Amino acid sequence: MLSRHAEAFFWLSRNVERAETVARVLDVTYTRSMDQYAGGTWAERSWRTAIAIATFTHPAAVRLGTRAATDALARCVFDAENPSSIVSCIGTARGNAIGLRSELSTEVWEHINELYLDVRAESADSIREGSPSRFLRRVRDRCQAIAGVSAATLLREDGWYFMQLGRFLERGSLEARILSTAESLDDPWPEWQRMLEMSSASFPFAQAATHLQSARDATAFLVFNATFPRSLAFCANEVEAALHRISGSPGGSYGDDAEKQAGRLCASLNFANADDLVAEGLHPFVRRILTTIESLIAAIQSVYFPRVPVVAPALLHSDALAG
Amino acid sequence: MLDLAQRPDVGDVFDEFFADATTPRPNYVRLAQTLAAVEPDALVSGVRAINAALLRRGVTFTVYAESTGTERIFPFDPIPRIFSHAEWQRIAKGVEQRVRALNAFLCDVYHEARILREGRIPRELVYSSDLFAREMLGVRVLHDVYIHVSGIDLIRDETGTARVLEDNVRTPSGISYVLENRDVLKRTFPQLFDGYHIEPVDDYPLRLLRTLREAAPAGAREPNVIVLTPGIYNSAYYEHAMLARSMGVPLAEGRDLIVVDNLVYLRTTRGLQRVDVVYRRIDDDFLDPLYFRGDSTLGVAGFMNAYRAGNVGLANAIGTGIADDKALYRFVPEMIRFYLREEPLLDNVETLDCSDPASRRHVIDNLERLVVKRTNGSGGFGMLIGPASTATQRAEFARLIDADPRSYIAQPVIQLSSHPTLADGVLAPRRIDLRPFALYGKTVDVPPAALTRVALREGSLVVNSSQGGGSKDTWVLAAQDNRA
Repeated sequence: MLSRHAEAFFWLSRNVERAETVARVLDVTYTRSMDQYAGGTWAERSWRTAIAIATFTHPAAVRLGTRAATDALARCVFDAENPSSIVSCIGTARGNAIGLRSELSTEVWEHINELYLDVRAESADSIREGSPSRFLRRVRDRCQAIAGVSAATLLREDGWYFMQLGRFLERGSLEARILSTAESLDDPWPEWQRMLEMSSASFPFAQAATHLQSARDATAFLVFNATFPRSLAFCANEVEAALHRISGSPGGSYGDDAEKQAGRLCASLNFANADDLVAEGLHPFVRRILTTIESLIAAIQSVYFPRVPVVAPALLHSDALAG
Repeated sequence: MLDLAQRPDVGDVFDEFFADATTPRPNYVRLAQTLAAVEPDALVSGVRAINAALLRRGVTFTVYAESTGTERIFPFDPIPRIFSHAEWQRIAKGVEQRVRALNAFLCDVYHEARILREGRIPRELVYSSDLFAREMLGVRVLHDVYIHVSGIDLIRDETGTARVLEDNVRTPSGISYVLENRDVLKRTFPQLFDGYHIEPVDDYPLRLLRTLREAAPAGAREPNVIVLTPGIYNSAYYEHAMLARSMGVPLAEGRDLIVVDNLVYLRTTRGLQRVDVVYRRIDDDFLDPLYFRGDSTLGVAGFMNAYRAGNVGLANAIGTGIADDKALYRFVPEMIRFYLREEPLLDNVETLDCSDPASRRHVIDNLERLVVKRTNGSGGFGMLIGPASTATQRAEFARLIDADPRSYIAQPVIQLSSHPTLADGVLAPRRIDLRPFALYGKTVDVPPAALTRVALREGSLVVNSSQGGGSKDTWVLAAQDNRA
């Protein structure tokens, strides 16, 4: 596979994943703001948190206008200047898909293009007139449909595995960001319930729980559960598996920098438990995971998408210039 | 009920559909019956759905002239254009003959230049052309094939005679619309196909791939073919992607390639991979920054050396533009006689060369009756249609021609034939042309997959996609169809 195409697959799925999560985070915040968060400092704090997750900033650094919901939707959905807004993510995903027209199945391309045309036809005003929630869920559903038709139609070759890499790296780092917005491991119920909903985890968590649930259990579930497809551990293991499928080297061997970083990430999650999390502290732990994910992304860049000069140095001295 | 009886707005226009006021031509009898039973509303809403589907599927082109660079679809007209088997055979043979002669001309003009030495074509016309590629002088191209893929534009004049309007032997586009048009028409209006037996078009990618593989260097056993595109901003990017995809070959950009020791490679996730044949959809000037435009990042440095060494096949060859320079167009019949010792099967359109002083005077004095074209222009840009022009435009062209006569030719206004076309919910006569494609590998193949473009504006003679044109599905009746 062309390195350029591999990189486009990677960014395509990263951006679809991000659009889906941003849509879900906003939808959860919006619907909760209608009852338990309605009015007062709760509402403001919840929008601050949502914007922080969606724009990769710290909640304390988020500036809010007087109309928090309107402001948040404008910034996180339609602001083309914000690279993590839904329109930006979908625009970037489609840009990569155009570069992959020769590689993608028709179904995947059409789903992406339809989502793009749909989002582009809306505006902050038009979704406020309808129901913001209906719009946000449509975005979320269509993103999931893209992942679904990808799984159903793409060859299990490099392109697919680069998509897996992008998807699970993005999912893992967004999950870490959601976790970082918790105050502590002893947050009250609405807070950890919010994190579960933002991670599509309330039902899976309830299924998995064996005793009365707590913030600590919910956090441990989102970090360590090996079967929940959005937990940090699950994401890390998928990333490592995809890297081995791409390089062809057997699991348990670590041939290049990307595989080494992925191995390190998996070790931090597979060989730890809730007690380790308590001992290290939630925020230091999440920060460490995010730093490892960043080094892993940098390693993938340098192993698979190297930036090389257009003219190979040897050619400058060949007879090519004589003509 | 659809009213099919509307006739062309001016006299002296060949009607493709009707033989006289009420009788359809034999090819169209069955279609006329089917159309008579179709509700106009169904046709209109079907077309709206098709155009929306084309946008959704991203079957679009980019218009450079608009600053926004918007993506637009090439509007689709549902009324198919139909050729009898025999009619198509005549056209295909004529196209084949023309392409063989143009290829022979290129081979000659970059080697012995016999046709110039024998005075059949003025040598200054060739050597003054900026489409003449000096880099190709004396370069032996693989298998002596220059024009692997060409599109020959034909029109039908007032008498119904097919004439060549221009040859496109650089990187002609449009085949993707042929394939899409057939596909959408089948899905949307299957009833139109009732009672017809027509040639399929969807084997075009396979035929193209066969031609491209035949362009490989002799040593390559399973040749590695790629499509080379300038990238996603090119107006025909959709077509590049579609062809690469349907041939199952990589769609590469210049930055995906590297030349090492005069061999061309792709940069892949598994290292460098050898390339044997490049089907390039970028212009000569951008192929190799070391030889051509140094500021270009679309091509690959060192490509020209690999090409000259015979290590990579290139479709089309560099320098084919000289064969479709509009100033040389009027000599194509002469090329056919000179190289093939045959009489041309397809006629040209009468053409005046502005570099000749007497012709130039005549052209400038009669601008309102002529069509003036830039010799290196395309896409319907840089041309003047006399009868539709303003005095200011004519004055501007007179000045342009005087300043640079070599760059202009003039032709009488040809009344393109007309064909019923859906316009504002009714069928109205609109002007059409035809672009058959020819593939030149071991032999010349003219697949029954031609593009019919239609001028959607009433009375307009310009069919270009960038200027209000649309397209129609084009049917060639199979040999066993009883109308053939």
